[in-house]
Amino acid sequence: MAIISFNNITKNYKTGFRKQKTALMDFSLDIHEGEVFGFLGPNGAGKSTAIKLLLNLIFPTTGKAEIMGRGVAAREVKKLIGYLPENPYFYDYLNPIELLSFAGRTSNMDSLKILEKTESLLNTVGLWNERKRAIRSYSKGMLQRVGLALALIHDPKVVILDEPMTGLDPIGRRQVIDLILKLKSEGKTIFFSSHILEDIERVCDRIGILVNGRLVRIMDIKSESLTRPLEDIFIEEVEKAGGARE
Amino acid sequence: MTAAWYVALITFKEGIKGRVIFGIFIIALLLFAATTVVTTLFMRDIVKVAVDLSLSTVSFAGLLTLFFIGVNLFSKDLDKRTIYMVISRPISRPEYLIGKFMGIVFLSLLVVVFLGILSSVPVIMSKRFYYYPEAKFDWGIYCVAVIYIFIKLAVISAVITFFASFTSNSFITFILSLVAYIIGQSTEGVRLLLASQVEKIEVSPVLSYVVDIAYYVFPNISAFDLKTQAAHGLSINYSYAFWTALYAIFYITIAIVIGALIFRRREFP
Repeated sequence: MAIISFNNITKNYKTGFRKQKTALMDFSLDIHEGEVFGFLGPNGAGKSTAIKLLLNLIFPTTGKAEIMGRGVAAREVKKLIGYLPENPYFYDYLNPIELLSFAGRTSNMDSLKILEKTESLLNTVGLWNERKRAIRSYSKGMLQRVGLALALIHDPKVVILDEPMTGLDPIGRRQVIDLILKLKSEGKTIFFSSHILEDIERVCDRIGILVNGRLVRIMDIKSESLTRPLEDIFIEEVEKAGGARE
Repeated sequence: MTAAWYVALITFKEGIKGRVIFGIFIIALLLFAATTVVTTLFMRDIVKVAVDLSLSTVSFAGLLTLFFIGVNLFSKDLDKRTIYMVISRPISRPEYLIGKFMGIVFLSLLVVVFLGILSSVPVIMSKRFYYYPEAKFDWGIYCVAVIYIFIKLAVISAVITFFASFTSNSFITFILSLVAYIIGQSTEGVRLLLASQVEKIEVSPVLSYVVDIAYYVFPNISAFDLKTQAAHGLSINYSYAFWTALYAIFYITIAIVIGALIFRRREFP
């Protein structure tokens, strides 16, 4: 069953008076329950645009995005999603406990459950000892970890991560990979974009390569054994599609 | 609407934990101290001067809070993309906007309550040290004047919320809100001046028309100013107070509803 569906989506952005840029072109994709789907593409390919469409942050020019068969604007659908934005930024003067409490309450969690989840998640991302510090004093990697905890506080069915490894040191990267694998073992559907092919290869069931707003290839990397490095396949697909556009 | 409440709380917390609010409190305290000193320079009407300056300080601190903290609380979410974290949760765009508005209003309420209480100190001192029996003063009217400062700040918060619903950076929101405030502060006076038909001065009908439009479009900020009544101990016309409060509720509702309708279709690329 498709948990996430992009149905013939085209997204145009206005870039000036009477000028527009097409970020996604007739984009269709189904992601199945319990699957880890990696979204690959050069900079400016439209990966973040696709993710933002799924979160109703932007609207498609044509086509429709759905989660579990419902439009992405529905409140019930949003309760199912955990999202980590690329370069997350939070309220400067709050600490992670206050942020996670906000996130939990907006997802109708009770106070006790929020406290339990907060402690376990902050321990998982290695921030429990820093929990009382204002977020403005956090490093980029720490912000990324707060973002992960925030995405998972309400135990979402679908986890969407936009470049989750950005800014993380090797230990942080390892923690994120372990976390993704743990979420996968819990049956969550994970949709994430990354530039780090090695990580994609390690955790994903399928990958999609997006070039210049078009989905040029979908590969089942768990069943298709890769005869060539993923990097070579990726570069070949980008070149075949006419190269990357910035 | 519960979601709006949580947005309001987090907005309020973020505002109160910042350093700017402490700076505003310090400025207000210095102004209260200055009020005590300045009143000694007057030969008479000392209580009147103390009341006028104290209420002006509360109003000024409230305006600083809105223009420097309120505008920023909105725009930083958009500039730094913190809004992704909020809108991707089960919170609709209108709920976010209403929550932000409420958070800013709570912040201005805190400022008005705290400084409103403190503002009584220079007034009490002037009453005690420079007592003269003919001075008319009533604490009830003083409190009503403080409440109307808060209502004025709530209206300006709605104006900021409205502009933030479609502008993309803090500077533009700040400038538009400031212009709306200045126009709102002066339209009633200008309209009265034009209506008074001063001899030998011909007023163009177009100008009258423009002033009329500005009068109805921009909030009539001067209507909430009860400093004169409080300073002179004049009784407040209850009908005026009621209709002014109703006007504020009406204006806030219109500004927030239009803002929410605009914000509903706004994209965050």
